[in-house]
Amino acid sequence: MKERPVIRLKDISTVYEGERRPAIRDVNFTIEQNELVYVVGPNASGKTTLLETINGLLLAFKGTITVFGLNVQTHGRKVRCEIGYVPQDFMVGPEEPYTAFDIVMMGRYGKIGILHRPEEGDHEKALEAMKLLEIEEIAHRPMGKLSGGQQQKVMIARALAKEPKILLLDEPFSNLDPESRKKIPSLISRVHEEKELTTIIVTHDVHSMLKLCRRMIVMRDGRVIVDETPEKALIELEVMQ
Amino acid sequence: MIWLELDILRRALLGCILAGILTGLMGVFVVRMRLSAIGYSMSHGAFAGAALGVATSLNPLVTAMLFASTIAFLIGPISDKARLHADTITSIVFPLNMALAFVFLTLTPTIGLTSQVASVLWGSIISLTNSDIVYLVTLCATTIAIIHFVWKELFAITFSRKLAEADGVNTKPFVYLIIFLAGVVITFSIKLVGGLLIYALLFNPASSALQFLDDMRKIIVASPLIGVATNLTGLGASLFLDLPVGSCIVLVSTAVFATAVFLSPKRRRKMDGDRR
Repeated sequence: MKERPVIRLKDISTVYEGERRPAIRDVNFTIEQNELVYVVGPNASGKTTLLETINGLLLAFKGTITVFGLNVQTHGRKVRCEIGYVPQDFMVGPEEPYTAFDIVMMGRYGKIGILHRPEEGDHEKALEAMKLLEIEEIAHRPMGKLSGGQQQKVMIARALAKEPKILLLDEPFSNLDPESRKKIPSLISRVHEEKELTTIIVTHDVHSMLKLCRRMIVMRDGRVIVDETPEKALIELEVMQ
Repeated sequence: MIWLELDILRRALLGCILAGILTGLMGVFVVRMRLSAIGYSMSHGAFAGAALGVATSLNPLVTAMLFASTIAFLIGPISDKARLHADTITSIVFPLNMALAFVFLTLTPTIGLTSQVASVLWGSIISLTNSDIVYLVTLCATTIAIIHFVWKELFAITFSRKLAEADGVNTKPFVYLIIFLAGVVITFSIKLVGGLLIYALLFNPASSALQFLDDMRKIIVASPLIGVATNLTGLGASLFLDLPVGSCIVLVSTAVFATAVFLSPKRRRKMDGDRR
């Protein structure tokens, strides 16, 4: 059965303020429901820009982008309520006055809505996400005093606590210890399957998810140069090199 | 010790308590959102407004508050339109306010730096009226109510505006609200220590609380308490030593901050870490 498209990019180009050269240019692709897509490419190839254009944090200056049929440029906030986003290398200094649980809970704020207080159910969802990542014992520790790997798990838990329909993960394994690097990709794959999430993972670590994903997008100089199954994509890349 | 009438002292005490709560509360957001320039920008906006009042024969204190509140209201939208951090805009508004103040004062050379205009800069706690106290009580209740109702959003924005936005929170109105509230609080608290010293009231209590506490909920309670304590101690010191109230409050507040930095467990751990 053909799944329905969830994310659709048509001729998308995004330029950072003050720059002339687009960070991504003429990007076209469609991602269907429950797809797990892997985005790879060298530094400054436009991977992070792509994710932030999809969730509307950056506005495309050309082209149209729709998520669940909604134009991201005009319905960004509504779309973002359904997207769990883990930014690249988000680290918090030791003096930040927030506990790990606070950070995870914040992931639900957009869904809870203005003037509404988090309820018992919201707390349960946040704790559930922390349990999934096996970080419930650090829930009440200050975020800034956690290790880089623990902070990264907190950020993943934050994205999952939201109960999103789409997951956008930007280098989510970069600060993890070797053991977690083995466990977390499988965990994300499991959550993706169980909750039927549409998932896009940006990473340098090609091999961490290779067996788990069915599609790989390769970017270079802001363009999509390969959009294939991982096996074919790697062969094409080898030919190119 | 200067003899003060009981009524003046009562108003001075109430002023210290209310301004301590207000600046202590808003200081937490100003410090966390890195809006350092808002303190002096607003106080000089009030100064320019007072000068405008003198030039146009209106009540300088009313024009001071209107002028500063208008600037506070505009800073957020202007920074978004210009795509610059609000702190950059407030830094640019600061000398603009001073320039406008001097222009307005030049327009009325016979009046010049009247005591009413000067009181905006130096402060005059003795001149606090019952109306001022009513305004401060109203502002205090309004500010606490607003923070209570939108705490969730403010909490997320002080952590990371970008992440809050990524989670679907519309951050813009809340950032504008904080800038506006900070501006209004500064303007209404200016009589206590004056525009030149208000900066300390805004930053010192919040920065002192941050030295000891790891939890924003505790900081938002501790900062106003520190603000009230330092204001009352400063007032007491001023009465006993016969020194200006504003200066005494700032001296006490700075001493509290210095002690907090010295005794801070966070800093001690950091230094231990550095040694290792």
